[in-house]
Amino acid sequence: MMLWEHFDKNEIYILVMLVVAYSAFFFFPKKLPRQITILFLVWGFASSTFFDFTIGGGLLDFYKVNDSNHYELSDLLTYFLFATFGYFFVYFYERLHINKKRFIFYVLGWTIVGLIMERISGWMGVTFYQHGYKLPYSVAVFLTVQTTTGLYYEFIKQKQKIQITH
Amino acid sequence: MSFAILFFLAWLVTAIFVVMKKEVSIVENTFVFLISLIVIINFSWIIIEEMKLIVLTKSGINYTAYLLDRSIILPMLLLVQLNLLLKSPTVAKRILIIFCTLIVMLGVSFVSNQFNITIFKRWNFVYEGIYFLLLQLIAFYSYKLMKKVSGGVVEYS
Repeated sequence: MMLWEHFDKNEIYILVMLVVAYSAFFFFPKKLPRQITILFLVWGFASSTFFDFTIGGGLLDFYKVNDSNHYELSDLLTYFLFATFGYFFVYFYERLHINKKRFIFYVLGWTIVGLIMERISGWMGVTFYQHGYKLPYSVAVFLTVQTTTGLYYEFIKQKQKIQITH
Repeated sequence: MSFAILFFLAWLVTAIFVVMKKEVSIVENTFVFLISLIVIINFSWIIIEEMKLIVLTKSGINYTAYLLDRSIILPMLLLVQLNLLLKSPTVAKRILIIFCTLIVMLGVSFVSNQFNITIFKRWNFVYEGIYFLLLQLIAFYSYKLMKKVSGGVVEYS
């Protein structure tokens, strides 16, 4: 794995976003049990890795992340960034008391946030579309990931009673 | 044919996991699955795309079969193994479970090779076996880590 091809705006953007995201992670009041915190950090990391190496590489190769199609350290850092998105999805799910009535709006809200972040990532040179891929196609990815995350969190809450700090 | 076989194996191992009596909580199982998935995806990419030790099929249907192996069969086998290991009282039984899991994983790898889903260029089944044993260790210690974090206590609302 190489570090990067050139250390420029995309690497700086990722580093700044990591500082912002993990600062928020550490400074926001803790509401979730430690197990759930760790699980959904890993969930965010795993889901971004899964999509990047499935549709963003291999036979489909719909987008390039950072400087090249090879695996760089800066790519790995983006997965650590996505880890915080997995956590914050569940964090705000609890803070905003999301229920059946609000679930659809919550997922739609996060999808809009995701699309905006992806557009910014494009401007900052983190994501480059290939082979006809366009930003609107990511709607399917965001809806799938976020709906799955929300439903799986509800499933875990039912199976293993979770104590939330209010 | 390869897609049908691997889809069947993915279904089978998932079904076994769903119906078996589990010794591990849903959170711990999920954590082990995700960690295994991350390791498998990263390792596969580095071995195939970066180091070119294995050549991957360019056929769409065979590539889908490979995705099933990478993303479902291997992680779910590790989950089934973990739950069986924790249920086993004796060292002999645990060694047998580890060995059987290794054989099944190598068997799936063999099927992939036979159908040219993966072609070993500078790789072989010995390396594959070592990799699978390391995966089993990673899965086990991921579970131990999560268990330690939770303190072994389920919190009730």
